[in-house]
Amino acid sequence: MALSTIVSQKKQIKRKAPRGFLKRVFKRQKPQLRLEKSGDLLVHLNCLLFVHRLAEESRTNACESKCRVINKEHVLAAAKVS
Amino acid sequence: MADHNPDGDPTPRTLLRRVLDTADPRTPRRPRSARAGAQRALLETASSRRLSGQTKTIAKGRSRGARSIGRSAHVQARGHLEEQTPRTLLKNILLTAPESSILMPESVVKPVPAPQVVQPSRRESSRGSLELQLPELEPSTTLAPGLLAPGRRKQRLRLSMFQQGVDQGLPLSQEPQGNADASSLTSSLNLTFATPLQPQSVQRPGLARRPPARRAVDVGAFLRDLRDTSLAPPNIVLEDTQPFSQPTVGSPNVYHSLPCTPHTGAEDAEQAAGRRTQSSGPGLQNNSPGKPAQFLAGEAEEVDAFALGFLSTSSGVSGEDEVEPLHNGVEEAEKKMKEEGVSVSEMEATGAQGPSRAEEPEGHTQVTEAEGSQGTAEAEGPGASSGDEDASSRAASPELASSTPESLQARRHHQFPEPAPPPGAAVCPPRSRTTGPRPRQDPHKAGLSHYVKLFSFFAKMPMERKALEMVEKCLDKYFQHLCDDLEVFAAHAGRKTVKPEDLELLMRRQGLVTDQVSLHVLVERHLPLEYRQLLIPCAYSGNSVFPAQ
Repeated sequence: MALSTIVSQKKQIKRKAPRGFLKRVFKRQKPQLRLEKSGDLLVHLNCLLFVHRLAEESRTNACESKCRVINKEHVLAAAKVS
Repeated sequence: MADHNPDGDPTPRTLLRRVLDTADPRTPRRPRSARAGAQRALLETASSRRLSGQTKTIAKGRSRGARSIGRSAHVQARGHLEEQTPRTLLKNILLTAPESSILMPESVVKPVPAPQVVQPSRRESSRGSLELQLPELEPSTTLAPGLLAPGRRKQRLRLSMFQQGVDQGLPLSQEPQGNADASSLTSSLNLTFATPLQPQSVQRPGLARRPPARRAVDVGAFLRDLRDTSLAPPNIVLEDTQPFSQPTVGSPNVYHSLPCTPHTGAEDAEQAAGRRTQSSGPGLQNNSPGKPAQFLAGEAEEVDAFALGFLSTSSGVSGEDEVEPLHNGVEEAEKKMKEEGVSVSEMEATGAQGPSRAEEPEGHTQVTEAEGSQGTAEAEGPGASSGDEDASSRAASPELASSTPESLQARRHHQFPEPAPPPGAAVCPPRSRTTGPRPRQDPHKAGLSHYVKLFSFFAKMPMERKALEMVEKCLDKYFQHLCDDLEVFAAHAGRKTVKPEDLELLMRRQGLVTDQVSLHVLVERHLPLEYRQLLIPCAYSGNSVFPAQ
C-alpha cells in the first residue's frame, strides 16, 4: 500500500511564479487591499522559502523516524513547529 | 508672334503656349529658334510676378543652364518623338529645374500622367498664387490647342468657383453637406482636366465633422446586461472560495447588513430600482440568483444572526416594495441556512419552489415561509455560524475545516445551479453535484499544486499522497496568515496597498531576512533572472534605473 501511494519524484521543476493564482488568492482573502506590481513576486519568494523550510523539516522528521518515505505525520509535525 | 491669346497680359505661359501652338513639330529648327525666342521673351517679360519671382529665386546661371538644357532637350525630344513632345519637355524641364520652395507643388505633379492633369493643377496653383516655374511648362503640356482655348476659360471659371467652394466648404461642413458637396462636385466634375488631388478634400464629406448620431441608451437593457455579466462569474468565484471562504464578496454585503434598516432599505430600494428596470420575470430570476449568491457567500462567513436580522428586516421592507427580488434573496438565504443545519431535501424543495415562483401573491406566502424557516433555522444558525465564524479557528483545525468547507461547497454548489436553470427544471435531482465541484476547485488546486510539486522537489524523498494533501492544507493556512499579516503591515503604514516594503518586513519577522542576509540576496538566490530584473533596481544605459525607485 505504501508503494502505490508514493508519488514519484520529478527532477525538473518549473521556476515560474503563478502570478495570477497569487493575485487571485490575495484578492479573495483581502478584497479591500491591493497588491503592488512586483508584490506577488515577493509573495512567491516567500512561499518558496516557506515550502523549502517545510520540506527540509519534514525530511528531517522522516529521516529521524527512519522512514524512507515522508509521511503525513512528518509533515504535520513540521507544520506545527514552524 | 501673333497674339492668339484673348487676355491682355502676356504671361510667360501664354507666350509659350502661343509658341507651341504656332510651332510646327516637324521642323526642328524653327521650334528651336521659336522656343529660344519664346524663352527669351519669357525672360524679358518681367511683368509677370511669377517670372520675376522665378528669376529672383532661381540662381541665374543654374536656371539659364537648365533652360538651355531644356531647350536642347526640347529640340532633341522634338526631333525624335513627336507624340511625347510635351511630356518630354515637361520631364526635362522638371529634371533640370532647380529645387526651390516655389517648386514644391511641382514635385507633387508628375510629368508622366497626362499633361492635362498637370496643367489644370498648375493653373490652380498659379491661381492660388503659388510661384512656380511651371508657367513656362504649361504651354508645353497642351495636346490640342483647340481643346485648350475654350477649355481654359471654362476651367478658369470653374477654378474660381472651386476656390470659392473650398473656402465655403469648411464652414459648410457643419451645415447639411449636400449643398456644398453638390456645388463643389459639380464644379470639379465639370473640369475637363479635373485634378484628382485637390477637389477630393471637398468631395469627401467624411472628412468634415458630423455630429455623431446618438441612440438613446436603454437603461433597462444596460443594467440587465451589467447584472448578467457581472454576476455570472461570481458564481464560480464564490464557489472557489468555499474552503476558506472569508468575507470576500460577502463582506460588502455584510457591511450593508450590519447597520440597521436605513441601509438595508437603501440597498433594497437600489435592488428594487435595478430590478424594476427588468421587464420580465425570467430576467429577474436569472439575476436574482446572482445577487442572493452574494448574500449567501457573505452569510456563510459572517455571523448568521446579523444575516437573519437583515433578512427579516429586508423581508419586512420588501413587503412594500417589489417583493420578488427580495423574496428570491430571502429564499436563497433561507435555503442556505437550512442547508447548514437541516436536510438537503427541504432545501431542494424550497429551491425548486423558489425559481418557479415569479408572481407577487406567491411571494407573500414565501415571505411568511421565510420568516417561519428563519425562526427554525435561527437556532441552528448561530450554532453553525460559530463554527464557521473565524477563519483562524477553522485554520486551527484543518481537518474540520477541510471537511466542512467541502460539504458546504458541495451543498452550496449544488444549490447554485438549481435556481439558475429555468423553472421548468426546478425539481432537479442532485445531478449537478458531480459536475459542480470540479470547475470550482481546479484553478485553486492547480495553483497550489505548483507549490506542492516544489515541496516534493525540495524534500528529495518519496512522499505519500496523504502527505501531499497535508501540504496543501498547510499552504492554505499559510496563505491566510500571510494575507492577514500583510494587511496589518499595510494598515500600520497607513496604506491600503501592500507594497514590497511590507513583504520585506514580513520576511524580516520570519527570520529570513537578517542584517547579514538582505532581501536582494534572497531574490538573487531563489528567483529566476526575469523576476530578479523586475525586483532589484538596476542601472541601465541612458542613466535610467529599472524598476524605478
